[in-house]
Parts: sequence; C-alpha cells; structure tokens
Amino acid sequence: MEMNVTRRQFLKLSGAVAATLAVVELGFDEKKARAESSDFKIAKLKPTPTICPYCAVGCGILVYSTEDDVVYTEGDPDHPINEGKLCSKGTTVRQVYTSEKRVTKPRYRAPGSDKWEEVDWDFALDKVAKNIIETRDRTFIQKENGITVNRTDSIAYLGGAALDNEECHLLQKLFRAGLGLTYIEHQARI
Amino acid sequence: MADYIKFVDVTKCDGCRACMVACKNWNDLPEEPQDFSGSYQSHEKVTANTWNVLTFNEHQRSDGNFEWLFRHQSCLHCVEAACEKACPEDAISHTKFGSVVIDADKCVGCGYCVQGCTFDVVELATYKDKYGKEYRKAQKCDLCTSRLEEGLKPACVTACHTDCLIYDEKDTVLAEAEKRLAVVKERFPNANIYNPQGIKGTTSVYLLADKPSVYGLPENPKVPLSQIVWKDYAQPLGKALFGVTTMAVVGAVISTAINKEKGGHEGGQDHE
Repeated sequence: MEMNVTRRQFLKLSGAVAATLAVVELGFDEKKARAESSDFKIAKLKPTPTICPYCAVGCGILVYSTEDDVVYTEGDPDHPINEGKLCSKGTTVRQVYTSEKRVTKPRYRAPGSDKWEEVDWDFALDKVAKNIIETRDRTFIQKENGITVNRTDSIAYLGGAALDNEECHLLQKLFRAGLGLTYIEHQARI
Repeated sequence: MADYIKFVDVTKCDGCRACMVACKNWNDLPEEPQDFSGSYQSHEKVTANTWNVLTFNEHQRSDGNFEWLFRHQSCLHCVEAACEKACPEDAISHTKFGSVVIDADKCVGCGYCVQGCTFDVVELATYKDKYGKEYRKAQKCDLCTSRLEEGLKPACVTACHTDCLIYDEKDTVLAEAEKRLAVVKERFPNANIYNPQGIKGTTSVYLLADKPSVYGLPENPKVPLSQIVWKDYAQPLGKALFGVTTMAVVGAVISTAINKEKGGHEGGQDHE
C-alpha cells in the first residue's frame, strides 16, 4: 500500500497522535501530585490563651475560635505548668462551648416539682441571695460557751479550680468575714 | 528534609487517653458511645470515626505476675503499605512525610483497603449526601498531615504528657528508642522495638513491653505477594493496554476520516 499523505492529512494525523498522547498523560500519570491533604483548619485563627477549668493543676490552653465557634483547643506550649501537654479531660475543653448538652440559661426546680424550668438571671440571682440570707440569719450563732463565734454551720462553700488568687481572696472575704461560713473548701484539696 | 517518624513508647503510657481526645478534636470526628465491656478500654478497636484507641491489655506474665499493658493503637503508616497496594482507585498514597493518606475524592468505598490492612486500622465510614443517599469512604489516621505541613506535630503527640508519644527526626527517635529499650529490659524482658522490616518499616515505631502477639500485632507482617503483583504489575499493564486501545480507536477514527476525505477529493485513487 502506497501512502500519499498530503500536508493537510499529515497535520491531522500528527494532531491526533498528540491528542492521544495527551489522554494517556492525563489519565495515567497517577504518581504526580496525588497526595493532597485536607486544609489546615486553624489557618488565620489567632489563639486565645486560657486556663483549664477542671482540676487544680491549672494547665494553659490555647483556644482557636472563629466568630461564632470554637474550632480547636490544645495545650499552650508556652505555659510553665503543662508546657503544651494536656490530659484527656482538659483536651475535651472545646466541648464546654460546642456540646449540645451545655446549659446556657439558669434553670430552677421549685420545691416539690419534678422538672427543671428555664428562668431569667434576675430571678435566679434573687432566689439564691434570698435563700442564702434567710438560711444564714436563721442559723447564725453569735456566742458559744461564752465565746463570740459569729458563724453559721448551715452553708458550705466550694471553690473551683478556675478561680484565681484574687477571686479566692474576694470569696473568702464574702463568705468567711461577711456571712460567717466556716465550711469553705476548694476543689484543689479534694 | 530529614525523615521524621512517630514513636510510641508503651512503657511510658499511663492510659490517660488524651491522644484519643486530641485526635477527635483536631479531626472533628463524631463521638461513638460504647457499652461497658468489662474493661477500662473504651472502644474495641479503631474505627472509621475513632482513629486511635488506647488498648488496655490485662496480661499475665510467665512468672505469674499481672501486667496491665497499654498501647496507643492507630495507623502505623507502613513504608510498604498493604492498603495502598489494595486500592484500585489510587486513592491511598504516601506523602512526603511518610504518612499514608486516603484521598476522599478518589475513594469509592470499595473496602479493599479494609480487607488488606496489615494492622486492621482502616474502616469504612458511612455518610449521607444531600439527597439522603448513603455513600462510604475509607477513613483512618493520616498522621495529621495538615499539621505536619505547617511544622506542627500530630495532635496526639502534642497532647501526650508522658513523652510516650514522640514525633522527631528518625535517627534521633531510633537512638532514643534503643536507649529506652535498654532501660525497660530489666522490668520487661520481652521488650522490643516494633518496626517490622517485612513491610520495610513503619513511620510509627513502637517500643513494646512484650511480644507483638501479646498486643495483637503480627510478629512479622508482609504485604501478600498477590497484592504486590496486582498493584505493581497487573494494574499498570491493564492501564497501558487501555492506553493502547484508546490510541488504536482514536487512530482508527482518524484514518477512516482521512480515507474518506481522500476518497472525496481524489476520486477513488486510494485503492491500489
């Protein structure tokens, strides 16, 4: 068979070969750039340092948050206590914000009631203040065995690990000096 | 860039499980509530949504003493990875960090990698698209590759407070591993460094307190020959053949067109 290929035919033919090679190239060079990983989710987010609210060790935590969400939390590498490490509970601290089980409004269960109902802050704070002062006044002991004691044994106060020194100082003032409590405890000692 | 590897010294682990939580936290994995199974271990094994699990192995030693062995169980990122060999879609590959990652866009959820995995760490997760139709994707630990790219350590390593988990240069880590092995040999005579050479080593190396089988690990894992043949020979050959076929078909179409054209212009002179 004698092939009389014109210029036009030659161009068509070479174009076809190039196109075929291009298909092969696109479809079969799987080694190139296939290891794509997912986006870096804390890119452009500025971490906010905070203190773990759980135990008394007081580990430092970095909170990566957007406008309306907490995206990631991890140990603060610059914090002298934990140097970036965290326990399993401290690692869950993101859920304090993101969990659906989080309670966002004060709730009140009336005496004899079997259910909680949402109330506003004014009601809740008033109720707590009223109950404290009523209990304190009812059970206040001024003298015992002739000694001035000025105390109540009916109320106990429990502080949490998220409190700092200054807050603890104010709470001591309020509960020990102000109201006369003697049962003042801190989670750190339990 | 120097090679970096992850090191798991199970003799330093205190079972706090921060690595598990850190993993869920970074990778935004959903919770998987479990029933109490009579052990402190939370999950039976790693799943598609729980990429690392701390196993609590209650083990009786040969001298009759009780030993509570912990192990941070997650993908070992084998250098010769059976999952990669098994994947027909080339969705599984090695990154420059040595981590074995699954490309979710390419994964079709066939589950060959689940069957193929030497350490039983790959599983299929079920998702729903916007029409409510279910589809599946293989999921497993990716060694936090997105973190590695930014110069950070994997989330589990960042959280670990006992230096049980380390991520560092390979030589440094292996030297440290030998040092620690010498220290723990006295307490754990069977202690060993688990970096199986049958699969050309792993990017996550263990210091185990007892024989691998005690932890449910294969003593000398290998990628089955059939999988290597399938991936390294059969598949490329099939693709090459597909390429040849494509070329043949395209070529045939073109030549037919040319012949037709010739026929139109030159009036049947193409027959000798």
